Amino acid sequence: MATVTLKHVQKIYPSTENETKPKRRRKRDADEPAEPKKNQLKVTEEGVVAVDDFNLEIKDKEFVVLVGPSGCGKSTTLRMIAGLEDITRGELYIGDRLVNDVSPRDRDIAMVFQNYALYPHMSVRQNLEYPLKLRKTPKEEMDRRVEEAAEILGITQYLNRKPRNLSGGQRQRVAIGRAIVREPQVLLMDEPLSNLDAKLRNQMRAEIIKLRSRINTTFVYVTHDQTEAMTLGDRIVIMKDGEVQQIGTPQDVFNKPVNTFVATFIGTPQMNMFSGKLVKNEAGKYAVRVKDAEIELSEDKQKNLADRNTAEQDVTVGIRPEHITLDGAEGTVVTGTVDVSEMMGSSIHLHVASEGTDCIIIVPTLDLGERDLSAGTEVGFTFAPNAIHVFDTETGNNLEYV
Amino acid sequence: MELEKNKLSPRKRAVNFLVHLLLAVLAVIWVLPIIWIVLTSFRAEKGAYTNTFLPQAYTLDNYIKLFTDRNVLNFPKMFWNTFIIAVICCIVSTFFVLSVAYSLSRMRFGFRKTYMNIAMILGLFPGFMAMVAQYFILKSMGLTEGSAVRLGLIIVYSACTGLGFQIAKGFFDTIPKSIDEAAVIDGATQWQVFTQITMPLSKPIVIYTVMTSFIAPWVDFVFAKVICRANADQFTVAIGLWNMLQKEYLYQWYTCFAAGAVIISIPIAILFIYMQRFYVEGMSGAVKG
Repeated sequence: MATVTLKHVQKIYPSTENETKPKRRRKRDADEPAEPKKNQLKVTEEGVVAVDDFNLEIKDKEFVVLVGPSGCGKSTTLRMIAGLEDITRGELYIGDRLVNDVSPRDRDIAMVFQNYALYPHMSVRQNLEYPLKLRKTPKEEMDRRVEEAAEILGITQYLNRKPRNLSGGQRQRVAIGRAIVREPQVLLMDEPLSNLDAKLRNQMRAEIIKLRSRINTTFVYVTHDQTEAMTLGDRIVIMKDGEVQQIGTPQDVFNKPVNTFVATFIGTPQMNMFSGKLVKNEAGKYAVRVKDAEIELSEDKQKNLADRNTAEQDVTVGIRPEHITLDGAEGTVVTGTVDVSEMMGSSIHLHVASEGTDCIIIVPTLDLGERDLSAGTEVGFTFAPNAIHVFDTETGNNLEYV
Repeated sequence: MELEKNKLSPRKRAVNFLVHLLLAVLAVIWVLPIIWIVLTSFRAEKGAYTNTFLPQAYTLDNYIKLFTDRNVLNFPKMFWNTFIIAVICCIVSTFFVLSVAYSLSRMRFGFRKTYMNIAMILGLFPGFMAMVAQYFILKSMGLTEGSAVRLGLIIVYSACTGLGFQIAKGFFDTIPKSIDEAAVIDGATQWQVFTQITMPLSKPIVIYTVMTSFIAPWVDFVFAKVICRANADQFTVAIGLWNMLQKEYLYQWYTCFAAGAVIISIPIAILFIYMQRFYVEGMSGAVKG
């Protein structure tokens, strides 16, 4: 029931973890700069920048999902909102209140942890009561809220059990219950579903959508799973290496990715990338040339590129598997050989090797008839003109939106 | 069980037999001194040296003498002295050990690593290295005369126990940090996290700490001897029992020494029996895993 505003929030972990010999360590770091690292996090004199210049205004009752690969700073951001991590720089507001230096318990937030973090020595009821007890809620009020939360989550019959006697899904419900009994202004969730098995995860995902319609609060949800992000979020924040890549509705980030990272991160199977050329054809229209094929872009894309006065150049052409069709008009067809053909029921996923580029094509089985697409078959395919994305080869930025 | 036993091959049986025989012999070797001292405490013959291994006649006189003969060696008084000291030390040093372990496990502050290293190195030196220094420090504070000796001993026994945080810290380290964080977000202060979350989850280690904190002063001889010196009023049981083995008392008090040895093990046994019911399951169910 409150807005959350992050202004230029930055988190830096001091690089001198080793308190006793900071000097030696720094020296060694300087000597071996080429040490391979999993993340390309920026390192400044102050330390490792885990989150850099994070700006976001979360509206009241909005459901915002932070998504990105591991180590991108999404959890750190959430923990900064929770108050479990200090904010190095920037401002964090919950409602109108600046909460940078407010302790977690005074921020009126609740959090659901990835590993549930239930209190094992307390029964489910005691777990749910604990946050209320600490706030000295009257007994009747406490009972009412606990019953209500248990009702919403369907854990009423387990109230007297200990967490160890519950299954993973039930434990996660208790953890969510403990977060909602307090009716917090902001509900934070840190990968709450990633410890559950696939089936349970889908079920809980639906439950969270239902939960959201029943309790009025602002949600901030962290996940590395883009499906969760797409299905749950009103808006998605895609992060990489501590930097926000794109903020937008699921539809936005899917249809208008600002760079190759977002384009490949969102959507499964991921977007195909071809190296190609952005050219202007005889009619003066923008077209992409991939291999021998030349495909004219759709009107809106023409306009976007023309507005930016984009020059002809080498580009990375991105196209989603579902936007590739087999065959096509002459001069617009790329050819390749089927490597693997995966029958998915309603569609076939074709893995096609085309002159050194591997790509995936989704072909609906209905359109297929009796056609044989087993491995080794030569196929030609073309791209839907309104679904082609052109990215700068160097920066990876979408040329339509730079 | 029966079925499985019958299935064992003769070779396995032979091995089993040998192993159990060995264990039985070892058990006898270990238990024998205890049995002997218990039997001796009931021995009717006086003196240290007898011709037989086992007593020839049994009596309760040794115990009676131990508690009634207060002229030469006042055992009840020593027992009381030691008990008071041990109980207070137990409370104080349990608090010290658990607090130090908890803060080292959960909080991050400058000097933390250095402190742990220093503690580790200090722990390598035997405590009695400092005993003379401790005596003179206590003396200058006036804690070596009269009943102040008790306070002196309490200080000596509990002051440095914070250094023995390693085992408790190791246990606290196994409690997931996210439980603490969940509690903090739920509205608990650091103190409430410690008392309401960490302590109930750490019962085994709390019990271990209480036991060791009680037993250390209960059985200590070196510091008691140095600090009490000739203050017979303030003797602890360890000094008293040792005195019983001195030449001048040996003949009269030898069997009482055995009785005393049995008596002092009783509080430890009671403490353990009382505490062990708190040895319940630890962490299961808290987190995924």
